[in-house]
Amino acid sequence: MSVVSQSPVARHVKTGAYFGVDNEPLVLLELIQRLKVRDVMTPKLVTVSRDAPMRAAQELMRKKKISGIPVEENGRFFGLVSIDDIIRALGGGYIDDPCSRHMTTKLVVLEDDMPLSFALRYFDRYSYGRFPVLNRDQRLVGIICQRDINRVLLVELTSELNRLESASGQNVMRDGSSNIYVLREFPICKYDFESAGKAANQIKQILQEKKFPPKDIRRVAVAAYELEINLCVHSDGGVLSWQVANGRSEIIARDAGPGIEDVEWACRDGTSTASEWIRSLGFGAGMGLVNVKRVSDEFEITSKKGSGTTVKSVIQIGNTPP
Amino acid sequence: MTVIEVAEAIKADVLVKGESCHKAVRHVVASDLMSDVLLVDEEDLLLLTSLASDQVLRTAQIVGAVGVILVNGKPMPSSMVNVANDLRMTLAICPLAKYDACVAVHAALNRA
Amino acid sequence: MTLQNLIHACGFEPVLVAAPQTEVTGAYTSDLLSDVIAHCPDGAVLVTVQNHKNTVAVCTLVGAPAVLVVHRRDIPEDMLDAARREGVALLRTPQDQFAASCKIGAVLEKTAK
Repeated sequence: MSVVSQSPVARHVKTGAYFGVDNEPLVLLELIQRLKVRDVMTPKLVTVSRDAPMRAAQELMRKKKISGIPVEENGRFFGLVSIDDIIRALGGGYIDDPCSRHMTTKLVVLEDDMPLSFALRYFDRYSYGRFPVLNRDQRLVGIICQRDINRVLLVELTSELNRLESASGQNVMRDGSSNIYVLREFPICKYDFESAGKAANQIKQILQEKKFPPKDIRRVAVAAYELEINLCVHSDGGVLSWQVANGRSEIIARDAGPGIEDVEWACRDGTSTASEWIRSLGFGAGMGLVNVKRVSDEFEITSKKGSGTTVKSVIQIGNTPP
Repeated sequence: MTVIEVAEAIKADVLVKGESCHKAVRHVVASDLMSDVLLVDEEDLLLLTSLASDQVLRTAQIVGAVGVILVNGKPMPSSMVNVANDLRMTLAICPLAKYDACVAVHAALNRA
Repeated sequence: MTLQNLIHACGFEPVLVAAPQTEVTGAYTSDLLSDVIAHCPDGAVLVTVQNHKNTVAVCTLVGAPAVLVVHRRDIPEDMLDAARREGVALLRTPQDQFAASCKIGAVLEKTAK
């Protein structure tokens, strides 16, 4: 589920704020200390043995829709076969070799009774998409990916937000004139593909309820959707904020990293830095920013490698209030 | 021809009847890349895809599609029916491969 | 039908065709490489928007003789290299996936009669 709010907590769900760098996100801090890795990990594991062919791992990934399989025998953990390993095997023509020859063995692992804050720091520090989880006896007990964390955190946060929001009241208001004034903020988490798109869906529904012209609604929705997916695929997480006033829709997608090296290149048709498994989910074809630019009346992007990226899309949606 | 009629013509199972299920299909898009779908400017389009994910329905809603036909008879995540109901998006599933579904839809629309 | 005849009948752009007499038995339309690996029949032309060298690797794996890139998307140099190495033909069309698939369908049906 996505979290829709202007409440203080939502603003803190920006990357970096997980650790209380610039603020005191007390709700989150409390949560990530309270929850243990074992509360969040996927415990039921699909594994392969060392001498299983890479093709068997590929087949399992396809069937189970997962992006990495641990190599394990009798609870002993040897390594991990990822989608990238499979793609390399297909490219290099060694897909029938045993997993033990090509699996990733340089691995960082987590322990099941570490607090969730540890896992978050690991994801921050290393570029891996998942970590195997071992118990005290060094037996493999699960695997944890960012999506697991996002899902659990969002569930916990939403219940908290619902409580806060019912206290602070509605956040759609009308100003003195008859112009509609809407302001929404949607926190977007990295790799949370299940929730990605929900903000754009809601934006479209709100505009439809307000009876704006369908053509304009579609442009706003497309821009919001692409920016939302971008935050999900490419950033470490960020916030999509949207406001409408006086027939002007303004979407701002802001993240705290990793930043874009060559902005001009990124805005070109067909260029993409997405990995193969993101492509396999139907994203990362390199058309996102081009598409946002195409539907926007004003488009602005500022980015710096190593820090964050901000994209602004302004779309006129009828000069007269509906 | 409506999306329901197209679905029946190619022997697809209609799982969710959405709000536009009786609107005529004016354009057909076949794609598994959602950015590709977002580039299309046509109205009242029918989306043929082999991507079985909630994103397909969200994308379809964004571009105002009249319906989605999931090809390849793919096992789909159970959430898809719920999301289709939430978004009031027509969702059908068809055992044909996407290529064969394209040819069959084309034939059905030409007959109509 | 031969690859050459299909290209001619459909009006596709032959970007790289090393073996024009290769027999084409059908087509498979997909942008998901994992789906292609799982379902693409031997001898089918792969209709896709994925202009990527991995597409060629997957074609080799499933025995697809050619890739048709739709929307006239650019074919990167490393994809051309891979196709040359693996003996996979590369075709292009400005049409979208639906139109291109229907076109191939119509041409193959006509020759079947």
